[in-house]
Amino acid sequence: MAKTKSRTEKDMRNPSKFQVFCRRNFGFVFILVWLIGFLVFRLYPFISSLVYSFSDFHLFKGISEWGLMNYQEIFESDKIMKSLGVTFAYSFMTVPLKLAFALFIAYILNYKIKGVNFFRTAYYIPSILGGSVAIAVLWKALFRDEGVINAIIRAFGGEGINWLADPDYALFIISLLRVWQFGSAMVLFLAALKGVSVELYEAATIDGASKARQFFSITLPLITPVVFYNLVTQLCQAFQEFNGPYIITQGGPRDATTLFSLLIYRRAFQLNEMGMASAMAWVLFIIVMTLSVIAFVSQKYWVYYGDEK
Amino acid sequence: MRSMKKILAGLLGLAMLGSFTACASDAGNEPANTTAAAGGDTTTAAAAESKLPSEEGEITIKISWWGGDSRHEATQNAINAFMAKNPNIKVETNFGAWSGWEDAMSTSFYAGTAPDVNQVNWNWIENYSGDGSVFLDMNTVSEYFDLSTYSESALNQCVVADELQAIPVSMTGRIFYWNKSTFDKAGIDTPKSLADLMAAGETFKTKLGDDYYPLALGEYDRAILMVYYLESVYGKAWVENGKLNYTEEEIAKGLEFIESLEAAHVTPTIATILGDGAESLDKNPKWMDGKYAGIFEWDSSASKFGKALNEGQEFIVGDYFKDMGSYQGGFAKVSLAFAISENTKYPAECAMLLNFLLNEPEGTAIMASERGIPLSTAALETCKSQNLLNEMVAEANGKVLAWVDYPLDTQFENAALKGNPDGVYYDVFGGLSYDEYTPAEAAKILAEGVTEVLNG
Repeated sequence: MAKTKSRTEKDMRNPSKFQVFCRRNFGFVFILVWLIGFLVFRLYPFISSLVYSFSDFHLFKGISEWGLMNYQEIFESDKIMKSLGVTFAYSFMTVPLKLAFALFIAYILNYKIKGVNFFRTAYYIPSILGGSVAIAVLWKALFRDEGVINAIIRAFGGEGINWLADPDYALFIISLLRVWQFGSAMVLFLAALKGVSVELYEAATIDGASKARQFFSITLPLITPVVFYNLVTQLCQAFQEFNGPYIITQGGPRDATTLFSLLIYRRAFQLNEMGMASAMAWVLFIIVMTLSVIAFVSQKYWVYYGDEK
Repeated sequence: MRSMKKILAGLLGLAMLGSFTACASDAGNEPANTTAAAGGDTTTAAAAESKLPSEEGEITIKISWWGGDSRHEATQNAINAFMAKNPNIKVETNFGAWSGWEDAMSTSFYAGTAPDVNQVNWNWIENYSGDGSVFLDMNTVSEYFDLSTYSESALNQCVVADELQAIPVSMTGRIFYWNKSTFDKAGIDTPKSLADLMAAGETFKTKLGDDYYPLALGEYDRAILMVYYLESVYGKAWVENGKLNYTEEEIAKGLEFIESLEAAHVTPTIATILGDGAESLDKNPKWMDGKYAGIFEWDSSASKFGKALNEGQEFIVGDYFKDMGSYQGGFAKVSLAFAISENTKYPAECAMLLNFLLNEPEGTAIMASERGIPLSTAALETCKSQNLLNEMVAEANGKVLAWVDYPLDTQFENAALKGNPDGVYYDVFGGLSYDEYTPAEAAKILAEGVTEVLNG
């Protein structure tokens, strides 16, 4: 017994390399399931898509050529460039509108008004529904020729608008669906607004500052970290939007709502051109990453963190 | 920690190597046409190899199809009857609407995860199994599937890479259907000629209103109608020997004809149809309530469109227009087929299921004409003797097969042409309707697009 004890103590004092390795890395066992999932379902597709992007990989024809031809086609194809333009237009229309609307509603709901909890819930519900297919189908029904919106317009003596088939309106309709789902951004703004010290407003009121002045000089600067967070996340989401245009307009009319992710889907799953689809996915990734980097770099000019001197 | 980093680095390296290996194995795949040539040798060997029923106790096979509600119901009932007759075979089903169906199936064909038995479109055989690697050669299971009920010419339509890769269910072609009630409301007969149709446009507009049209045509419908028109005028098939048989000038004439239908208020613009916000014409409220009073559709789709109409409306099969040109234009093709996946574990049982659905009296009586008028003589006999054929489908099919004269190239339905909305047909007919293209410009795009697909 004493012999065993002394050996264990000795082992503990001078553990073997294997024991040290096991001890140090035992924690990885607990994340093994996630790790395997990450490697197989995230990292492998991520890397293989990069490799395939340099090939003409077609699901049923295999690969016959390697090179930069996909990237060349992306920048030479009118259709793809138009889709990129539509995606930028959609994102730059949707994100500011959504953030402005979310902030506006959050600002109102920050006041102690009657039934505020009901309103907070009501405004948050659309974002729970998220990018659901059912909501997109409903949206389509609202805006079709004989839909509710045109029925209202006609009831007031106006002429119905061909919302879904007019290139001038279709993108706006798609964008409006996403703007309507402003709840999650609103909740974050609401939390940020709650964090602004009341004393600052009191001091400003004593100094004679108007509500608008208080908003732009106190509220807005103090919630810029949340504005920044919402901006980056919403921008990433907007560039990857798929469900809305896929269900409501199928990218039409005449490609007016063909967002980049929709085009990637079509190249991959309708035409089975996985090489081209991979290249397009990487272009989208680079665009989103670049915009995120720009946002991060720019934050030192406009985002106020309380701990900064 | 450093060791762990090394392991992680190793894993990452392996992941990357894996992706390269996958590429390398794909790179090794010959293009479909090349491998197809070698298919002949393997076919002979495969044909000789008999597929025996599984000796396992209870087995499960899967079947997939697309269609409308009535087809789903009939097929499920037939499958239940098959399971009752073969208690050791459990059949799982996977079915849905056409929209997005091909996208999902093509991926599963590539991944080898497709169900054991699949309803397939005619062109899928060449597009997805050009080398015979995706679908089983039905000759190898002829012991369990009675091929003698099919004519050789019918079966030949599904022979690719020297293998009978599917069993054609029926032949189909496009024909006019009219909502007689709307024409009655307008005070005119349903069109018997092109002249009647053109005149109906104006009558509808003046008597019923701007929302009423005698014929509704989507982009793909327009492509088929244009080919029917061109074949009627010029007397030659759209594609012959793998080459487009029409010049750009001739195609432009066809496109001008389609434009004239819009101009004469015969058919609504593409924008009008898109604005209706319906997934397909049979789900369009304006079709349901009779504002769109005609379609140019597959004969096998008759019941779907008829059932979609609101109560009290009479739906009839039209005639081909003899004044369209000097020839009998139009084509018939295999409407759809059933194929067994090459990698199924139970080929004999799959063949037994198909035989039940397509040949045996019990199964075919339930399936009836849900997939068109059966090509199987046994199924046809059963349906006729029990008076099970949908009268309208039978009438339309009879008219189609009696009229059409021209063959259809399998590439006519290639996704690059027919894909919605990126296919060439959608671009051309949409662009024409939106006034983005002149007929000459559209003809050039169409000719180039078709030629590119035909050249592979």
